[in-house]
Amino acid sequence: MSTADAVLETRVVVVGKSPRQLFWMRFKQDKAALAGAVVIVLLIFVAFFGGPLAERITGHPQNEPYSDIMTDDFGLPKGPNSSFWFGADGAGRDLFVRTMYGARTSLLVGIVASGIAVTIGTIIGLLAGFFGRWADTTLSRGADVMLAVPQLLLSIGIVAACSTTKEGCVRGLIQPGLTIVILVIVLFSWPYVARVVRGSTLSLKEKEFVEASRSVGAGSVRIIAGDLFPNLVAPIVVLATLLVPQSILFEAALSYLGLGVPPDQASWGQILADASGLYDVAWWLMVFPGAFLVVTTLAFNLLGDGLRDALDVRTDR
Amino acid sequence: MKSTKRSVVPAIAVVVGMLALAAALVSAAAGSGAETAKRGGTYRVGWESTFGWTNSFDPTGEYLANSFAINSSLLIRTLVGYNHVAGVAGNAVVPDLATTVPKPTNGGKTYTFKLKKGIRFGPPVNREIVSKDIRYAIERLARPKNGAQYAFYFPVIKGFDEYSKGEAKSISGIKTPNAKTIIFNLTVPAADFPLRIALIAAGPIPQEVAKCFEGQPGKYGRFVISSGPYMIEGSDDLDISSCAKMQPISGYDGKTRLVFVRNPNYNARTDSRKARENNPDRFEFLVDTNLDDIYAKIAAGDLEDEYATASPKIFREYSTDRSKRSLLKVNPADQTYYVTMNLTQPPFDDVHVRKAMNWVMDRSALRKAWGGAIAGDIAQHVIPDVLLGGALKGFHPFKTQGDRGNVAKAKAEMKRSKYATKDGVCSAKECKGILFISDVRTADKGMLAAIQSSAKKIGITFTVRVVNGAYPVIQTPSKNIPISHRPRWGKDYADASTFIFPLFYGGNIIPAGNTNYALVGLTPSQAKRLGVKGSVNNVPSIDNAADRCLATVSAAARNKCWAAVDRVLTTEIVPWIPYMWANQINVLGPKVDTWAFDQNAGLAGFGHASLK
Repeated sequence: MSTADAVLETRVVVVGKSPRQLFWMRFKQDKAALAGAVVIVLLIFVAFFGGPLAERITGHPQNEPYSDIMTDDFGLPKGPNSSFWFGADGAGRDLFVRTMYGARTSLLVGIVASGIAVTIGTIIGLLAGFFGRWADTTLSRGADVMLAVPQLLLSIGIVAACSTTKEGCVRGLIQPGLTIVILVIVLFSWPYVARVVRGSTLSLKEKEFVEASRSVGAGSVRIIAGDLFPNLVAPIVVLATLLVPQSILFEAALSYLGLGVPPDQASWGQILADASGLYDVAWWLMVFPGAFLVVTTLAFNLLGDGLRDALDVRTDR
Repeated sequence: MKSTKRSVVPAIAVVVGMLALAAALVSAAAGSGAETAKRGGTYRVGWESTFGWTNSFDPTGEYLANSFAINSSLLIRTLVGYNHVAGVAGNAVVPDLATTVPKPTNGGKTYTFKLKKGIRFGPPVNREIVSKDIRYAIERLARPKNGAQYAFYFPVIKGFDEYSKGEAKSISGIKTPNAKTIIFNLTVPAADFPLRIALIAAGPIPQEVAKCFEGQPGKYGRFVISSGPYMIEGSDDLDISSCAKMQPISGYDGKTRLVFVRNPNYNARTDSRKARENNPDRFEFLVDTNLDDIYAKIAAGDLEDEYATASPKIFREYSTDRSKRSLLKVNPADQTYYVTMNLTQPPFDDVHVRKAMNWVMDRSALRKAWGGAIAGDIAQHVIPDVLLGGALKGFHPFKTQGDRGNVAKAKAEMKRSKYATKDGVCSAKECKGILFISDVRTADKGMLAAIQSSAKKIGITFTVRVVNGAYPVIQTPSKNIPISHRPRWGKDYADASTFIFPLFYGGNIIPAGNTNYALVGLTPSQAKRLGVKGSVNNVPSIDNAADRCLATVSAAARNKCWAAVDRVLTTEIVPWIPYMWANQINVLGPKVDTWAFDQNAGLAGFGHASLK
C-alpha cells in the first residue's frame, strides 16, 4: 500500500451517528431553542408548585379578596407593594398568587388540549393520507367541515347551553369550565394537524422504503406504525410545540369573553380578561400575567423552531 | 315736606330692590333654570352596547327606566305624570293630559279624569287626543299578544282580567262618557292607581296606527306617534293611509340611532314648564359598543350625556378632578341591589342558612365592586327608605361593623339550621358546590369573589356558572337556580308596592320572565305546574299582607303597612341579601348647561336639559 493510499484509508473512516445523536448535535447548537426548553421546564415547575408556594410565602389564598386594604375608595385595585408583590386584581385578590396558580391552568390547557388535538389529528391525517379514496374523502372533508365552523359562536353556544345546570350537558359529560375549554380547543385544532400529517403521509407513502416494506409483505398497520409514523415525528413535534401557545392564547380569548375557566380558577387569560376595563389605571394587571403569557408563548415557539431545525436534516441552518 | 319726600324715595327704592332680589332668588331657587336656559341645539346621548328595549320601543311593553325616561319626558304624555326632577318632588304625581290628579270617589274605587283641550297627536295623526285613546292603550296592554310587560298592575280595573282572557269585548271598568272624560272603576280601593296610570303603557295610542300591529309585539315601536313635545324624526313622512303603506319612521333604525325633533303639534300651554322645558331642538340617542369611546366623546364635548355603565375609574376621575366634578351627577335611583336565594333549593330552604348568609356577607366589598360609596348606600332591607317615607329608618337587622360581615353571628345562626355543622360551619353536602349563576359584567367578578369568600367562612361553597345575560336563566323557575347576584330592582313608580308585587307576590310567579326569583309564596300546585323541584311545601308567603297594604288608602298607613311587610321579609323570610341602594350616576359633557335628574324614572330628566 502506498502512502497516499494509507492517508485515504484513514480519511474515509466515518463515525456513524444515530438520528438521535444527529438531532441532539443540531439542537444543542440552537441557543434560543435551549433557552426556550429551560424556560418551559421552569414554567412546568411553577405550574406544579408556584401557586401553593406563593400562597405559603404571602399568606394570601388565591381567591381571598383584600378589598379593604388593596382597593381604594372607588373599588379600584392598588399596585404592587411589599405584601402584594404584583399588586391586587379588580376584586382585591393577590395578583402574584393568582398569576402563579394561573400558570397551572394555562399550561394544563395548553399541553393537554394540544396533546389531544395532535393525537387525533395525527391518527386521522395518517389514515386519510395512507388509505386515500373514500377514507381520505370522508376524513378530509370532516376536517374541512370542522374548519368551517365558527369557533367562538360554537363556544358561546355550548357554554350557554351547559351553564344553566350544575350537571352541565350530556349527563354531566360536558361541564362548563376547563373541560369545555379543552374540548373546544381540541375540536378546532385537530384539523390543522390532520391536514399537515395527511400531506406528509401522501408524500411518504410513495417513497422507496415504504415500497420495500410492502414488497416484503408488511401490512398497513406495520407500515403506518413502523415506517410512516417515525418519519412524521418531526413535523408533529413542531406542530405540537406551536399548538401549545396557541391553545393558551385561545383559552385567554375564551376567558376574556367569559367562556373560559370558572372565575374562581385563576388562569392568565382569566386575569387579563378580568382586568379588561382597568388597564389604564392598573398597569400591573396587564404587565405580570401578560409577561408570563408572552414568555411562555415565546419559549414554546423557540423550542418549536429549534426542534424543526434539528429534526429536519434538510433545513438549511 | 322736602325732607319727607327725600326719606320716602330711598325707602321705595329699597323695597323695590328687595322685591327684585327676592324675585331673583325665587327664580334661582326654582332650580330648573326655566327662565335662563338657552333653547336650541342637539342633545346627544351615548348608549352602551344596544338599546336593550324590552319590547322594541313599543310603549305597551317597555319596562325599563331608560325607556320610561325618554318616553315620559319627550314622547308620551299620560293622564297624570311627573315633573321629572330629583327628590321627593320628582316622585309626586302631577296632572299631564288630565286637568287634575283626581281624588277617588266610591270609597277609593272610582277615578274620573278630565282631559285638557287642545292636545293633539303629533304628525301624521294630528288629531286631538281623546279619552278613547287612553282606553285603547289600556285594552291593548290587556291583550296578551301585544307583549305588555307590566299588565299585572291593571287587573285592579274592573273587567280587565275578563277582557284579557277574551271573555269580554271591552274592559267594563273603563267608561268614556265623552271625548274628554275617562272613568276607571276598580275592584278594590287602590291608592296608587294614579301612579299606575302614569306608566307609559297607559299613555294615549292612536288606534288608526297601532291596529296595524295588533298581535305583533314590539312592531309599533318604530311607528310610535307622539303625544309629547318631541316626535321621532321623520314621523311627518309616515303614510298612515293604509297599513300596507306604513314604513318605519326614519329617525329610529331599531338598533343604533333614535332621533327626536320637535313635535309641531305640541302646545306648551297645555303642559307645565315644571314638567318639561323642552330646550334642545333635537335629541339623539346613539348606540356605541365601546364604553371608553362614549366617555372619551363626553370628555371631548362630542356627547352631552350617557346611558352606560360608568366604571369606578370614571367615578374616581370625575370625583377627584375638581374641574370635572360638576359634570358628575350622583342621585339616589330608588333601586336595591341584592343577592337572591331560592327558598326551595337546599341549603337555602332553611331560613337560618339564609340569615347566616346575611350575617356573614361583606356588603362593603360588594358595594366596592360597583365603585364604593359613590355607587350607593349599604342596604339593610328590601325597600329603599325613601319609598317608605322613612318608616324603616334605622332598621338594620344585619348591621355589622364596617358592613364587612360578622362571622360569629353567622356561625351561631348556621348552628340553628337543619344542616350538619361543625362549630357553625356547614359540613353537609347540600352546602357544597351550590350552583351559582353569575354574569359577565365587570362588577360581577368583584362581587363573586366577595360572596365566595364570605360564604366559605360558614362552609358554603359554589359551583359558579358564568352566563352572558343571566336574567333569562334565573327568571325561569324550572331551572331551580339556588342563588345569584345578578338581580337589582328599581321601582316602577313611587310606591313600595312595586317592590313587593313583582318580587315577592306568590300569585305573580310565572314560568318565564319571573322576577320573584326567591319564589316567595310558591304553592305546591304552582311548583308542580312550573316544574320547581325541592322544598316546595310550606314556602312562606306575604300575599295576604300585601293585599291588605294595597287596599290601604292613607299614605302614612300605607307606608307603615309596607314597612311591616319589609320587616317580615328581611327578618323572617329572608329571601335576599340586600347590599346596596344604588345611585344613578351620570357623566355630562361640557356643553350641558341645565340638567335635572328624573326621580321617577331614575335617569336623566331630558325635558329639563339645555345646552350652553
